[in-house]
Amino acid sequence: MTLRTRCLAIAFSLLILSGIPAVCHAGDANGIDTASVQRGAYIATASDCTACHTAQGGLPFAGGMAISSPVGNIYSSNITPSVSAGIGAYTEAEFARAIRKGIRKDGANLYPAMPYTSYRTLSDDDVSDLYAYFMHGVAPVDLKPQQTSLPFPMNIRLSMKVWNLLFLDSGTFAADPSHTADWNRGAYLVAGAAHCSTCHTPRGFLMQELADRGFTGAQVGAWYAPNITSDPLSGIGTWNQAGLVQYLQTGSLAGNARAAGSMGEAVEHSFRYLSAADINAIATYIHAIPPVRDPGDAASRFSYGQPSSAVVTLRGQNGVRSDDDSAPSGAELFQGNCASCHGAFGQGSKDGYYPSLFHNSATGLANPNNLIAVILNGVDRTSAIGQAYMPGFGGHPSDMNQLSDAEIAALSNYVLSQFGRSGIVVSSNDVAQERLGGPSSPLILLARVGMGLAVFVVLLCAILFSFWYRSRQNTGRLKIS
Amino acid sequence: MSDNYSADVVVVGTGVVGCTVAEHALDAGLSVLMLEAGPRVERWQIVENFRNLPPSLKANWDAAYPPKPWAPHLETYTDASAAEYLQLEGPDALAYRQGYVRYAGGATWHWAGICWRLTPEDMKLKSLYGVGRDWAFDYNTLEPYYTRAEYALGVSGPSDPALQWPPMRSKPYPMGQLPFGPGEQRFTDVAAKIGLHNLPAAQARNSGVSYNGRPACCGNNNCFPVCPIGAKYDAATTLPRIEAKGGVILANAVVYRVETGSKNAVQAVHFFDQDKVSHRVTGKVFVIACNGIETPKILLMSKNEKNSNGVANSSDQVGRNMMDQPKISAQITMAEPLWTGVGPVQSSSIMNTSQGDFRNVHTGALFRMENAARSRVGGLAALKKGLVGKALDAEIRRLSACTATLTIEHELIPLPYNRLTLSAKKDWLGLNKPNIYYDVSDYVRRSTATYTLPILKQLMAGLGTTDSQINNFYTHSDHIMGGCIMGTDPSTSVVDADCRAHDHDNLFLPGGGAMTTGGSGNSTLTMVALAMKASDAIVSQLKAG
Repeated sequence: MTLRTRCLAIAFSLLILSGIPAVCHAGDANGIDTASVQRGAYIATASDCTACHTAQGGLPFAGGMAISSPVGNIYSSNITPSVSAGIGAYTEAEFARAIRKGIRKDGANLYPAMPYTSYRTLSDDDVSDLYAYFMHGVAPVDLKPQQTSLPFPMNIRLSMKVWNLLFLDSGTFAADPSHTADWNRGAYLVAGAAHCSTCHTPRGFLMQELADRGFTGAQVGAWYAPNITSDPLSGIGTWNQAGLVQYLQTGSLAGNARAAGSMGEAVEHSFRYLSAADINAIATYIHAIPPVRDPGDAASRFSYGQPSSAVVTLRGQNGVRSDDDSAPSGAELFQGNCASCHGAFGQGSKDGYYPSLFHNSATGLANPNNLIAVILNGVDRTSAIGQAYMPGFGGHPSDMNQLSDAEIAALSNYVLSQFGRSGIVVSSNDVAQERLGGPSSPLILLARVGMGLAVFVVLLCAILFSFWYRSRQNTGRLKIS
Repeated sequence: MSDNYSADVVVVGTGVVGCTVAEHALDAGLSVLMLEAGPRVERWQIVENFRNLPPSLKANWDAAYPPKPWAPHLETYTDASAAEYLQLEGPDALAYRQGYVRYAGGATWHWAGICWRLTPEDMKLKSLYGVGRDWAFDYNTLEPYYTRAEYALGVSGPSDPALQWPPMRSKPYPMGQLPFGPGEQRFTDVAAKIGLHNLPAAQARNSGVSYNGRPACCGNNNCFPVCPIGAKYDAATTLPRIEAKGGVILANAVVYRVETGSKNAVQAVHFFDQDKVSHRVTGKVFVIACNGIETPKILLMSKNEKNSNGVANSSDQVGRNMMDQPKISAQITMAEPLWTGVGPVQSSSIMNTSQGDFRNVHTGALFRMENAARSRVGGLAALKKGLVGKALDAEIRRLSACTATLTIEHELIPLPYNRLTLSAKKDWLGLNKPNIYYDVSDYVRRSTATYTLPILKQLMAGLGTTDSQINNFYTHSDHIMGGCIMGTDPSTSVVDADCRAHDHDNLFLPGGGAMTTGGSGNSTLTMVALAMKASDAIVSQLKAG
């Protein structure tokens, strides 16, 4: 299950947070621990629960958001305290079991789109506060969201028991006394609430996180969550602490990278609301992740490209473009669709609002999916420094231009050759796949092609894999007791 | 004739008015079919068309929109090409060279985005000043529709009532005002010294944030002839949304006849496709919204036994009362730099000069400094001087900074002799070209002579003008109004207060043509407000069965 676990609407949490004194005042008489509710609201923000559990335009935490995964859409559940539609009937123990072990009140397993493999490290106090918040700080919504219906065999939730047996570690977070308190706080947040590895750690055949390749980059739906280890070529080793903090708080580090897709949502709904101490702790921990280099990387993804333009090859040639049905060149598409904001030379704007297209991780990665995804889907990220917005070009009703797969491929190739990492080539098929939400898992093929046979293959692989996997678990991973 | 084209609401025209009605009807659960005479193209193609034009043609707003043979519109490359489609006569014939594009998305592709409202007085010219006509309703009736129009388009404007026009609003603008560039600030300061108030314009352009998926304005200063990024509202941005809601849009479908049936209701419209094949479209309600020239043209072309003057024309008012804001422009050179060009091509105007008791004698007007960048004009002028090297650079810079265009847009009252008729000349499809007689009238000429030119000269002096050239003829503002005029009396007007044809219960003619008077400001917001009002009437009429 590749996870688009980060999304929408922390603004709601803040509203609720600001409304809490009133809630609590009434609640005090009922024995509600208002301080606990407030702490829980912060943890819910840090955990970005709203990203998946609040649908676009939907009520806070009422669920129903489609989370695209390589095996199909998973619909988030209603986690408001509604007894009929939400989690109002959960005891604290049942709530904790859902958060940490992915098991519903009725005993059925959750799909790991719910990052319980990360949340399991949340402390008892934090889980208790989270429970207080969801019971007393969130308005109940009696609407049942759409049910998830994955193709066989993924529709057998029981299969998740096998998966959990293989891949769900037990135990909670334990501080490492050889590191500072700051590092340890960061370790706790990164492993649990922020669940960074959920996106940034590659996954194996059965969608399990490959701990030995922690934080080295992975595909997340249409987007690629890149290597964030401290390697100066493949990772973010060239960033200093202040730079990483700025990136997490604003989603923007000029001349390096901008957050879009799931990371943009994480900035908008979670990181920007965290305390300065917590953001710094996260940055401290992330910076200390041992460097892992992709042998294919000869230079940092932030270092590629320079200003350049092919505009002089266009003018005076083709006076009227709209009468011409022939395939447009990448240069034409760039001038007509991109240059009005990013500049004819791809230089961006002086104030940094529009990023330069060179010295930009989207054009400097060996994997061009972020470039394709941003052209298809655009950017909409709000932080303390305002809204960063780019319309998509991929056929959404609100897009200003509707470009075909072939046009986006031509445009991407122009941008890569002109401003980015040369030698990377995008095909129409690549764009088509990204338009559908990213690569799908071979699991689904197996399920569709082989059906019964596939189940045996999958289970056999799972068992074989488990031996290999257990034997490979190593020190690259956060220490968990 | 075996086509199966049919919908609850058939909308002819995909401009701002047609799209407003279409989206409203779709939201109410009705089926919608839209017919567009011209082609449908992507924004970037128009952007590249514009950028590929030689500098001498870049001020010709139609040049980036080459018309298809079946959907001709004004082409201003040369006087001969301009005379090709619109047939114009009368003392001010050339002042009716109205620019509009027959493309999916319509003329808002190349509008300035300015969203002035009419004032209460603008709607009561007859009773207050004894000229023109009174509207069928007052400002308070229109105000809620204005507000809905502003939220539908996404209008930015000032929050301070002292800067609003008119300051009678039920809700704030959906977005805050765009900041002034240096030229506009200077013009505002100069106007203030002679007692005039240059107001930030309400404009359908995103200030600082996205709106309806459209990005914030980044100051390309390219609103004419196309906003390259869609920060300015244009109806083309709504077409994919209309389709996502289930609307069907047929491009290259030139409607040429409205067919009436029992009880004189409209029962079909007929269109030619690009292969000259005719098709018939049936529906429950029909909306003709293809601007103030094409709409009356279609009605006049549709005359039949029962409607011998043309459809909706028992009053003989279809095609009469054609209005615009006759414009006088001045090209000025100043000693000091003004630096227009920062921000949108238009972003402010002096409005209170449009109001006053003088309106019983002569008309009022708005005054504006055009905020288009002057580099193209300056560059061409400097090259003509034969300069090279640093001297050329310096002269381009001086002319870009120290020149400006000032504009007067006069209000024109509805006059029956300003009339659109069918020319005997035919277009590529064999359809009549429109013919328009145009005389701006002594009511406007008196204003120019005694009122607006003296004010213009005061403004020019205030700006430190060293050299100037004031046009001694009127030009067009592209605000086509009046040809399907609204009123309560079916014998003197074409449509009722909901833009419904007096003669046909299920025919609606919203837009500029329905406007009873035009004021001095741009007409679009009023057109959209009328489209909103018509939409409500259409939905309730169809829901009532």
